[in-house]
Amino acid sequence: MIKCENLQKRVPMAGAELEILKGITLEIKSGEAVAIIGASGSGKSTLLGLLAGLDEASAGSIDIDGTDLGALNEDGRAQFRAQNIGFVFQSFQLLPALTALENVMLPLELQGQSNVSQQAESFLERVELGDRMGHYPLQLSGGEQQRVAIARAFANKPAILFADEPTGNLDTRTGEHIIDLLFELNREEGTTLVLVTHDAALAGRCQRRIRLDGGALVKE
Amino acid sequence: MSMTATKMLVRDWRGGELGVLVMALVLAVGVVSGISAFTTRLQTALVQESHRFLAADAVVRSGRELPTEWLEEATRQQVPHALTLQFPSMVYAGDDRMYLASVKAVSSAYPLRGELSYSRAPFGDVLPATTGPARGEVWLDSRLFPLLDTAVGEKITIGEAEFVVTAAARTEPDQGTSFYGFGPRVLMHYDDIPATSVVQPGSRVEYRQLFAGPAPSLDAFTQWLEPKLQDGQRLVNVDEGQPGIASALARAESFLLLAGSLAVVLAGVAVALAARRFSERHHDYVAIIKSLGATSSTVNQLYGRSLLLLGCIATCLGCLLGWGIQSVFFQLFAEQLPVQPGPSGIRPYAIGAATSLTCLLCFAWPPLRRLAQASPLRVLRRDLPLENRRATTDYAIGLVAIALLMWWYSQDWKLTLAVLAGLAVTAGLGFCLALTLLRGGRLVGMSAGSIWRLALAGLQRRGATNALQVVIFAMAIMLLLVIILVRTSLIDEWKTQMPEDAPNHFMINIGPDDVQAIEHLLRTENIPSEAFYPMIRGRIMSINGESLPSTDDVEQNRRQRETNFTWSDAAPAANELVAGQWWTSGTDRAVVSLEEEFAERLDITVGDTMGFLVGSQPLEAEVTSIRQLDWQSMRPNFYLVFPPKLLAPYPATFMTSFHLDASNKVFLNRFIRQFPTATVIEMDIVVEQIRNIINQVSAAIELVLMVILAAGALVLIAGVQASVDARMHESAILRALGAQRRLILGGLLIEFATLGLFAGLLATVAAELSVFILQTFVMDMAYTPQPWIWPLGIFAGALIIGGLGVFSCRRVVSTPPVLVLRQL
Repeated sequence: MIKCENLQKRVPMAGAELEILKGITLEIKSGEAVAIIGASGSGKSTLLGLLAGLDEASAGSIDIDGTDLGALNEDGRAQFRAQNIGFVFQSFQLLPALTALENVMLPLELQGQSNVSQQAESFLERVELGDRMGHYPLQLSGGEQQRVAIARAFANKPAILFADEPTGNLDTRTGEHIIDLLFELNREEGTTLVLVTHDAALAGRCQRRIRLDGGALVKE
Repeated sequence: MSMTATKMLVRDWRGGELGVLVMALVLAVGVVSGISAFTTRLQTALVQESHRFLAADAVVRSGRELPTEWLEEATRQQVPHALTLQFPSMVYAGDDRMYLASVKAVSSAYPLRGELSYSRAPFGDVLPATTGPARGEVWLDSRLFPLLDTAVGEKITIGEAEFVVTAAARTEPDQGTSFYGFGPRVLMHYDDIPATSVVQPGSRVEYRQLFAGPAPSLDAFTQWLEPKLQDGQRLVNVDEGQPGIASALARAESFLLLAGSLAVVLAGVAVALAARRFSERHHDYVAIIKSLGATSSTVNQLYGRSLLLLGCIATCLGCLLGWGIQSVFFQLFAEQLPVQPGPSGIRPYAIGAATSLTCLLCFAWPPLRRLAQASPLRVLRRDLPLENRRATTDYAIGLVAIALLMWWYSQDWKLTLAVLAGLAVTAGLGFCLALTLLRGGRLVGMSAGSIWRLALAGLQRRGATNALQVVIFAMAIMLLLVIILVRTSLIDEWKTQMPEDAPNHFMINIGPDDVQAIEHLLRTENIPSEAFYPMIRGRIMSINGESLPSTDDVEQNRRQRETNFTWSDAAPAANELVAGQWWTSGTDRAVVSLEEEFAERLDITVGDTMGFLVGSQPLEAEVTSIRQLDWQSMRPNFYLVFPPKLLAPYPATFMTSFHLDASNKVFLNRFIRQFPTATVIEMDIVVEQIRNIINQVSAAIELVLMVILAAGALVLIAGVQASVDARMHESAILRALGAQRRLILGGLLIEFATLGLFAGLLATVAAELSVFILQTFVMDMAYTPQPWIWPLGIFAGALIIGGLGVFSCRRVVSTPPVLVLRQL
């Protein structure tokens, strides 16, 4: 369960402070799929970054399954991410120097797991890329790259999966395919899914939608 | 963590990220260890070569017989040794023919170093000999044959002993020293001395004990020997044996050390640039792995281990490269090298490894260490600024590391300071100037055409980065200019010192009546000669009225001594006055001019008076000037010069020096028959030896220059590469917006060429300063400004940097912009 209370984010900008998030309070239950929607600049990605422990809040608290993220330093949050969190990004964020297989192995290696190669292979097969394991990101299409990213996100069996505009860089058909894959894996693995999107179809497939406007929560 | 550094290195290598860093490291280690090994081996070889001029590695000489215990000790310590004894003596052939000759008796082991040569007939084909004449035999100087009217196979007499003439003595390795007052050479066996009975207590003789051997045993022996030396016994080393060679070697050594030190600096800069770029390109990588759960310490460990592993691999490869560089050098001029290069030992490779370690720790590690601080939020927001601020401490650490490394490498703090001064001027002045100039450039450029506006706006936008880049380019160009300048003046100086037609024969004992005839003969035979100088043998008796001790056989500075005087109205050619004034032409004052070192030895300054004995007549003169002269010039040189009127009443002979080609040696036969009383001293072999050594050293210097230029080019490439990503990104956007190829490449060319122009300007100023310090305080050479360096430095800077910049970014106009944008 993700619980955040009065979450605020302010950044210094040209001598003044810009308030990006204005006291967000929300709860996401385990296994739930939630879409964060809103116009550009409404603070969606900032909220996602905070919830995933990629950034520090200016005020307020975030509690994930009993862990207070605010009490952890960057290294503590990194360890927490390694154990509990998976990511899918709009720009895929694959490492160009690594093959598809190596990209999927990366989080497993960081966790110090054994048999990383076998586990990674099985995930790549699940996203139907069993025959492209040795390819580098540049040799893959956008959709294929995003499938590698999804395999990587699920590889360490995270409790929560955060996705930032997962279909943003893809055409509609590929996007739909990716969404199917994401929800299918989500269901099979019992993962909590939090995604940021502009895509109404994608948001529509989530159980709940949270709308942000000017850094504040708007009732959906 | 199971993701090992090895895996990461392998992956990075595949990704092409590591190329420049590894290349910079391998080149750093390779160049430093290669030059160092080459220098060490060349020095060993050249020192051996110069030992040929002593015919040994160490020589003890004395006017009295030397203790035989020393030879016994040498035998005990397994140091090979030989003996020589030199003295003037009348040599008789038949009943009525005689001549004063310079006799040299040598033991069977002579020479220990270098070669003895002889010919079967006078002036005949020169043959090498491993040992001197056998007992009962003598070799005569070629010109003694006509003087004594004798031939090979006939007999001559020295003192009470009779000898068979078996060959013509041609060259001895140690003949290049002290020939004044001696006649043509007669070479005999040392064991025949007692039979001649010519050497009596008090005779004017020089005993020598020669020693040679591998450094450790010889050093041990000379250490044992030195405390036992008494007054009048001197241990002679190479420097004294052949000052010309010694100073050429010392300067060559300075140059090579300078070159190596510059290689260290260049390598450091190249590594720093490459590591910085590597770290910038790894920011996203680190952000991703951190978002996947890697902690800062994981990142640090990962990069630390990778760097260590990389360092080990690059060091091994670099040492191999260094070994390759020095063997290629030696192969390139193996034919010219008369001696086997000695071993280099482990030190050059240790220096290479230390360079690698220092470069890694002080230049590569700081930017990589900061990678761990990269924010994982970059995975969501790529516009977050990079954590690549170089702290001032980084620069300070780098500077100290470079300084220590250079000092360790060159063991010469003056040389280190000279280079650091140049670098400091480049960095300090450069940064301010670059900022100002770039700002000025913008104002001018605003009204210029579109390409110019694009280029100058680019320069202005990245003001601070560009200024840093200008400083880096300027440093590299400065170091290259320094090495080119020093090399040029060194080689020029050697060329003027030892021109092809440098005098290689001395002629002494020319009667005043023969001067004109000999001058005429040389002119008609087209043999270039120096002026004819009168030579009067005299004795120094007192200084400022105080009589000097008269012990001839004791080697001390202030004592009575015989030497040659000359007279001249004007200061002799190539003599430089360092104190006092030259006399007015035709003066009848009793004055004298002294050579600088001679004056120092006798502790005399301008204004002192000296008492002389010329023949049997006393003479007193005031010292009015001190001269510096070039002993390596092979011109007649004199310690004491008097005004003509003062010495005119005394009987004089004349001397000169001239250049004779090897093909024209038979001229000497005719000459000696025509002027039997004149003495010709053949120095051509010695001159040739000196020229050979200098040629080899010059060739080595040219090769080293090439390597340094390559290292400099690498820095320039790394410097351009460092800014290519940002420029490629902008150019790709412009290209996407429809900008023409000409506009983009033109803009890039102007941008980089402007940086190069500023860098060249700074580099030239700093190089002049550095070279001034180096030549004045390190290499003991006269500094002369080199105007040609200005256009070279400035325009070569603009051309090379401009060219490299366009070349590095050329992909932007040949690849679809979307691909460029995707890859960056």
